[in-house]
Amino acid sequence: MLKINNLHARVEDHEILKGLNLEVGPGEVHAIMGPNGSGKSTLASVLSGREDYEVTEGSVDFDGIDLLDLDASDRARAGLFLAFQYPVEIPGVSNMNFMKAAINGKRAHLGLEPIKGKDFLEKAKECASLVELKGRLRDRSVNEGFSGGEKKRNEIFQMAMLEPKLAVLDETDSGLDIDALRVVSQGVNAMRSPERSFIVITHYQRLLDHIVPDFVHVLSEGKIIKSGGKELALELEEKGYDWL
Amino acid sequence: MIGSNDSFISNLQKQDYNADLRSKGSAGLKVLSAPTRRSERWKYSPISKLLTKSLKSCAGENVVWPESITPHPVPHLNAYLMVFRNGFFVSSLSDLPYADGVICTTASQSEYEAIDGTYHEKEWVGALNAAYHQDGAYIKIDKGVVLDRPIIIHHLTYGEDIASLPRHSVILGDGAEADIILWNSATEDSTGMYNRIFEAQVGKNASLRVEKVCNEHGEIYNFSHESIRQERDSRFTTNNFTIRGSWVRNELCIKSKGEGTDSVFNGAYMPADSDHIDNHTTMDHAFPNSTSSEMYKGIMYDKSTGVFNGKIYVRQDAQKTAAFQQNSNIVAAKGATINTKPELEIYADDVKCSHGCTVGQFDEEAMFYLNTRGINEENAKSLLVQAYIGDVLNSVKFEEVKNEVVKLYSERHGWL
Repeated sequence: MLKINNLHARVEDHEILKGLNLEVGPGEVHAIMGPNGSGKSTLASVLSGREDYEVTEGSVDFDGIDLLDLDASDRARAGLFLAFQYPVEIPGVSNMNFMKAAINGKRAHLGLEPIKGKDFLEKAKECASLVELKGRLRDRSVNEGFSGGEKKRNEIFQMAMLEPKLAVLDETDSGLDIDALRVVSQGVNAMRSPERSFIVITHYQRLLDHIVPDFVHVLSEGKIIKSGGKELALELEEKGYDWL
Repeated sequence: MIGSNDSFISNLQKQDYNADLRSKGSAGLKVLSAPTRRSERWKYSPISKLLTKSLKSCAGENVVWPESITPHPVPHLNAYLMVFRNGFFVSSLSDLPYADGVICTTASQSEYEAIDGTYHEKEWVGALNAAYHQDGAYIKIDKGVVLDRPIIIHHLTYGEDIASLPRHSVILGDGAEADIILWNSATEDSTGMYNRIFEAQVGKNASLRVEKVCNEHGEIYNFSHESIRQERDSRFTTNNFTIRGSWVRNELCIKSKGEGTDSVFNGAYMPADSDHIDNHTTMDHAFPNSTSSEMYKGIMYDKSTGVFNGKIYVRQDAQKTAAFQQNSNIVAAKGATINTKPELEIYADDVKCSHGCTVGQFDEEAMFYLNTRGINEENAKSLLVQAYIGDVLNSVKFEEVKNEVVKLYSERHGWL
């Protein structure tokens, strides 16, 4: 599904990723943990195609496609999804128009007709119930005036609508209370399937109680320095990162 | 005449009504110069290219109405219709209201009542209209009468080097209410000048709403001047959409002539290619306890140029005035420019006035967010643009007008 090979990336003059290797198979959930400044969010940004980041070396193969050769919207159309750590507020653009444009963008890419209004609404209703997103929030401007928890639920709602092959969740647990964390995790778990993979980036182990990973990796100074099963997360929780 | 070529208007003839105003206009033309870059008010909107033309007046009695233009510009809106072509009234395409307390006819069929009375003394453009106006709407609504449907005044410029000079008057009695839609069209191959004066008197506690849409193809120099007089406790609202127009100057002058008036004026402009769009507004508060709210939003594409100049006067007696002004611009192309200038002159000491003016680019974070959902740059921009001018669109009273405006913008800019 995803094969990251010797990835180096920088922002301006700061080299942040320094030879990162990671392989994610279909249906797998990989957690990436690590101290602040280790490059976790940079990895999410580089994968999703943020332009401020420059890849200086390495490659990313996504289902046989050279991911780094695509712009952000084509990556999304190819099946990549990024759940933002800080979702953006877009006043004046309704959540529903936003999702319709997104779905139709992908459908156009696949040579399909725009989605029928009725089908779209049914799908939206179904996906919204997954994360308990009320009609009021569905219809409002994108993230405008949403609480932290509502914004994160909206991210998962969008993920459900777009049905990606690979979803990268960038610190989705940050700023969530325990109830919101539960709702968001339920949404993610409902989306798990043998064909869909996840990269869950998190600072804390507690998210991984809810979204149980197949693999846990520790990122430090731009490289993965240790990999293991879900028990590695518990060990990190207990001992911190210093012992590595 | 100073500053324009001799043949510029030598082909024009004066109509035989409004003789008094026409002679004042001619007197004005003798002393006033055509605008040049040397004058502050016209610095960014030169018209020298227009002045080299030799314009003609064309009533077009024998010309068929072009197929590309629908006489009723908002087909789904239940409205009265006054159609003008090249400054002259087209009776066969019009549908006027007949009701007690409502006079709706042409300027040439009515007795002119001066409402503003000074524009032709101050501006060459005004003098030109005063001297040579061809016809116009004359609408008078009696005290307490509420017009049951909006009146669309649709003007078409059609032909080569045409001079269109309509002059409309609207007089609302105390407590009267009316909605007017000023709609402009021009065909692809049309050239020339459109010079239109719209004067309105809004009586005590009366309410006037004007939606203004410019959708002119071709190469027309469009001078539109609105002069609004508001009596005590009256309301005036206007939304101005420039959809298309190669050179457009909108002038809006509102005078509050009594206490407690409310004025709301908004505009949205999205020029492309090498279009030029100029919005000059003046709000004059001379009495206490009045409010005004102004919001103009623009997106400049391609090699377009734009001007915004918003004057607000708060005279010494106009205590407790609340005046709000905002002009926001997005410059969406390297070759585009906007010159924006708020001018507030406040002589009263107990007032609330605010103004803001911004020039920026599209929000990159919002763009990226949309991109990561598979919405490409072009479509993301169209979503953001619609959101951006949404404030102005949402202030339009009639859904049908709003939808038509969105449709026309979509066609021009390839929105989703």
